[in-house]
Amino acid sequence: MRYLKLIGAFFKISSQAELAYRVNFFIRLLHSGLNLLTGVLSLVVIFNQVEVIKGWDMPAALALLGVYLLLGALRGLFIGPSLESVAGMDGEIWTGTYDFTLLRPVDQQFLISVRHWRIFALVDLAMALGLLIYALVTLGTQLTIGMLLSFTLTLLAGVILLYAALLAFSALVFWNPSFLFTWVINDLFQLARYPVGLYPGWLRLVLTWVIPVGLMTTIPAQALVGTLSPLMLLLTLAFTLAAFLGATWLFRQGLKRYTSASS
Amino acid sequence: MNHRGGWALIQNTWQSWIQHRGFFFLLAFGWMLPLLVYLFIWSAAASDGAIAGLTQESLAGYYLILILTNQLTYATTNWTVGDNIRYGQISRWLLQPMSPIYHALSQEIAGKVVFMLFSVPITALLALIIRPQFNLSWGQALQFLPAIVLAWGLRFFWGYWLALLAFWVTRADSLLALQDSLIFLLGGHLAPFALLPPGMQTLARLLPFRYMSAFPVEVLTGQLGVQETLTGLAIQLGWTVLAIVLYRWVWTRGIRHYEAVGG
Repeated sequence: MRYLKLIGAFFKISSQAELAYRVNFFIRLLHSGLNLLTGVLSLVVIFNQVEVIKGWDMPAALALLGVYLLLGALRGLFIGPSLESVAGMDGEIWTGTYDFTLLRPVDQQFLISVRHWRIFALVDLAMALGLLIYALVTLGTQLTIGMLLSFTLTLLAGVILLYAALLAFSALVFWNPSFLFTWVINDLFQLARYPVGLYPGWLRLVLTWVIPVGLMTTIPAQALVGTLSPLMLLLTLAFTLAAFLGATWLFRQGLKRYTSASS
Repeated sequence: MNHRGGWALIQNTWQSWIQHRGFFFLLAFGWMLPLLVYLFIWSAAASDGAIAGLTQESLAGYYLILILTNQLTYATTNWTVGDNIRYGQISRWLLQPMSPIYHALSQEIAGKVVFMLFSVPITALLALIIRPQFNLSWGQALQFLPAIVLAWGLRFFWGYWLALLAFWVTRADSLLALQDSLIFLLGGHLAPFALLPPGMQTLARLLPFRYMSAFPVEVLTGQLGVQETLTGLAIQLGWTVLAIVLYRWVWTRGIRHYEAVGG
């Protein structure tokens, strides 16, 4: 309960700060629109040339794009800004202002994960949900309750995997404060825009089991199309749990190394 | 005009950027990834046979060269010019006994050197793994030279005049994001020119964006006939001249409009 109240307060403070810059809303709208437009146009261009690529057709790829944009919107809404303020460019670990964050009487991992919100990312969230619903309707006829259930489960797993990956890369900053590890994972996340099965074998393995950006979007989309095997579903859920625990562990280990920064 | 001072500035910037190479390597890595995604997507699409005359191997060759030329023509400085105007940094440049464009040029040259230090070895490594096919000839290489120089000039001056709008509008950098989106769609990033739908091909042929990035690569990889190459070069030259005229015009008016606050 206390944690929920804190999230509410963080959200309110961040929103008030951001709503002061009203022109930014329209700029955000332009960027979000461009993002959605280029995403959909890309699929139109690709599937204009070939009808099916390795088992993926236009509606399935559209559903995957919806999942990708949804995860990207959640990252932009709070996971990204919160972790960036600690581990990003001129972040607290680099400048040493992390001292003040450490003194707060609340769980560290919770605090650094939900502290900053970007209310304008709700536009991205709405667009992503819209696209996802559109894709669901075009897939329409073949959907069953079981598929929807496994889709919800795997989508949740995707969000947790994304969070775990961002947390793990942020934690690496404790070892080397001058390198922008969060940028690396943000760059790699772009690979999740397309089904992991389209990449060559070596890359597919890496993107599934090492840096699981492939799992984040491909598995939920497979759940919707009905090509997800029960074994893969279980493996994904188990891997998600392991990734979450592993990232938490890495963050705690890093935290122990923090020695502040002074000039 | 003091060219010696300009050359000293160029050397200075270049050496200082090489010291911070980790950061710039990360930027180069980020620009490389979207192009790699489409390299893999089109390779997967062409795995059952050539599309529009392009085989898997020639598509790989096209994208690997595009990764390099894209970084050679990408004008990073355009993103910082606006900030310099907003924060008043440009006042200091105006007082120096040389044209302020040397500041942009010095960063351009420094950027190319540092980005290539990263991208050339990585692309060579990728070429060993992916095994692309290049149809290179001396004739094409000779036509490639003016095409790449004009592509850089066009992209630089086009972005520069847009960035200079910061004299009047605070968020002019949104126009640069729009330019990047159009280069992605029409400039051969999403798909080589030959694979675009007819409508987008017409737009790509007329608008400046293809001539900023993909055109030199099409020339080098032998995708264009002599007639097409000459027409392309003429259009490219026309847009470049217009971009320089616009830059001169916006610059002289902007300078008169500019006033700094504080010290």
